[in-house]
Amino acid sequence: MCITNPACCTVFGTITDRTMRVSYTNIWYYCLWLKDFRLHFPRATSFAAHAYKRLTGHLVTTLISRNRGDLLLLEQWEDSPSYHTKMSAEPVRVLVTGAAGQIAYSLLFGIAKGDVFGKDQPITLILLDITPMLPVLDGVVMELQDCALPLLREVIPTDKEEVAFKDLDAAILVGSMPRREGMERKDLLKANVAIFKSQGAALEKYAKKTVKVLVVGNPANTNCLIAAKSAPSIPKENFSCLTRLDHNRARSQVAMRCGVPATQVKNVIIWGNHSSTQYPDVHHCKVNMAGSDLACFDAVKDDDWLKGAFISTVQQRGAAVIAARKLSSAMSAAKAICDHMRDIWSGTPQGEFVSMGVYSSSNSYGVAEDLIYSFPVHIKDKQWKIVDGLAINDFSRGKMDATAAELVEERDTAVTFLSA
Amino acid sequence: MRLLSLLLCWKIAQNEYGVCVCVVLQADPIRVLVTGAAGQIAYSLLYSIAKGDVFGKDQPIILVLLDIPPMLPVLDGVVMELQDCALPLLREVIPTDKVELGFKDLDAAILVGSMPRKEGMERKDLLKANVAIFKTQGAALEKYAKKSVRVLVVGNPANTNCLIASKSAPSIPKENFSCLTRLDHNRARSQVAMRCGVPADAVKNVIIWGNHSSTQYPDVHHAMVNVHGKEVEAYSAVKDDSWLKGDFISTVQLRGAAVIKARKLSSAMSAAKAICDHMRDWWFGTLDGEFMSMGVYAGGNSYGIPEDLIYSFPVHIKNKSWNIHDGLPINDFSRAKMDATAAELVEERDTALSFLSQ
Repeated sequence: MCITNPACCTVFGTITDRTMRVSYTNIWYYCLWLKDFRLHFPRATSFAAHAYKRLTGHLVTTLISRNRGDLLLLEQWEDSPSYHTKMSAEPVRVLVTGAAGQIAYSLLFGIAKGDVFGKDQPITLILLDITPMLPVLDGVVMELQDCALPLLREVIPTDKEEVAFKDLDAAILVGSMPRREGMERKDLLKANVAIFKSQGAALEKYAKKTVKVLVVGNPANTNCLIAAKSAPSIPKENFSCLTRLDHNRARSQVAMRCGVPATQVKNVIIWGNHSSTQYPDVHHCKVNMAGSDLACFDAVKDDDWLKGAFISTVQQRGAAVIAARKLSSAMSAAKAICDHMRDIWSGTPQGEFVSMGVYSSSNSYGVAEDLIYSFPVHIKDKQWKIVDGLAINDFSRGKMDATAAELVEERDTAVTFLSA
Repeated sequence: MRLLSLLLCWKIAQNEYGVCVCVVLQADPIRVLVTGAAGQIAYSLLYSIAKGDVFGKDQPIILVLLDIPPMLPVLDGVVMELQDCALPLLREVIPTDKVELGFKDLDAAILVGSMPRKEGMERKDLLKANVAIFKTQGAALEKYAKKSVRVLVVGNPANTNCLIASKSAPSIPKENFSCLTRLDHNRARSQVAMRCGVPADAVKNVIIWGNHSSTQYPDVHHAMVNVHGKEVEAYSAVKDDSWLKGDFISTVQLRGAAVIKARKLSSAMSAAKAICDHMRDWWFGTLDGEFMSMGVYAGGNSYGIPEDLIYSFPVHIKNKSWNIHDGLPINDFSRAKMDATAAELVEERDTALSFLSQ
């Protein structure tokens, strides 16, 4: 029998009491946190956990119950009743702006459920939007209450920055000025500079210095830069913008082409601006097919597609979804936001990197400084580090430079508004 | 592909430490249908299903999306988004407007789509339109789906739509059909929890009796609240009988309308969460000592509710089968409310059946 899919696992165990239940085709068990286990059996934990990881790709916490001699293989399961878990952790304060809007509606549930900050991490959710949207925000608060989510300690709807940005651990800035009919790019930039200058200043004034800021509202890279510049005492490394959606789209395009699940495609890169000049690069991507890792170009066997239609499909996917749905892509954007924040919080797996729009200073790829530019990064202990030393051929060089040039131009325009 | 049964396991003796090694197996994908798939509730729901929150982290899924022909372009956009989410369990997504494709070989069906009430529409017209839809879908279940299919009806009027679907699928056991009252159940839990200042999951065994409408009866006479580690009866924990018999009930009954008024849209997020809870509990069972609210076939019930209805009861679930939790004492206050909602359901059923035979 061959082990093919690391995502599937069945465990046989002993059904002992009402806190645990095992079925043969699916696993559902509750977190039973025994603090003394790791202290007494560190090596057994480590051995069993890593053996499991080699088999399945998942690292799990292995517990042995001293009283009953049962081995419980533990994987976190949503909605574990809180009386089985010890959630004495301090709640994290998480802000979402544009909270009455479409993307936030898909996002808030994922955050409140524990998908981002962890299954045992209580959350205080702060929802910021403009004053006319406060009644809609009340409806969103009602719904979050009706979801009966154990991790959600408090929900605070507000239109005031001094309330919203206070003591934040994480900020997801979804709200921005959308492009209206007849609006020039310059006008869009000007309106958004005003918003993100104000929010950057609020972060400076009220948030914790350790706050992690993810900018989603477009133009994401430039908005992020403006916010970072307006919050000088918060490290620039704490600011990032979302290119994970494009990263996930690139993965799934390659996966569909190869006929594998998207999680078997690793290390795609999105370089540059979250716009139509972004460069989805698969030169360093690996596809797991039939148990072995193949270079993407070998797995797909269609260089023309990878250098042509693949790139334009990913670049224009957002527009394609809008054309079909008549609304922008909230579900997949929310998923990408959750992936991005979760990786910041818990780190990236060994050997894998993800795409994030981060501050470009002292990068080794010859990209202009003082930009928010999407790079491949590793993340550990809530710090990201650009993956250095990847070979860049002429094709990639051309595309990376083009998107950098667009970002330089956006930045220069935006900075004139900043000082105005 | 059959489930591979190879595994290695050492049996763990009492009071001894042992090691259990798990082996990777590939489960057969299950086919799950969502109707009204281009709509708002489905948009909040599909992601959770595809992520594994409902059927398990190891259960691959084939997701079938059914909607009416004008919505097919929107459905394509939804399919694109599901692809962009890069979810490992999602084996295949099949968008369609054809019932023969939509209902084929189903393991689970979530019938969200129904005719919404339009301006000027009488209740009778709404019933008539929905009878037509659910008669067709029941017949399609009968013809194409597996006999073991579990059907959850969400589209309103949920109880009556569920009954019609069940009657139109005579060879599928009536116990395989249910309607959603879990949203009201969750709302009731969270109202009590907020009142007591505890997390919502510290409240258990609330009951929603009856129709998923404004006559529903949220009953906390048997609910327990975990306050500082101790299980306390809800009435003792809340210490406000008049609220529990008055405003609490009307708040839960009218919560849907309150959300629509605030959001200008109906409650998709919390409805999707309730659908996931309902299906997950049906699939994996309820905990000992706890029961959940489900709209189920009232035949053979011990609470004096008329038979041949889909009525929301407190249920235990084990091995994908539900059992009404019997033996709860019912006082006069509860009796009256349970009867009132039953009466509404009887009237709805009789109107619907007259349309069914046409």
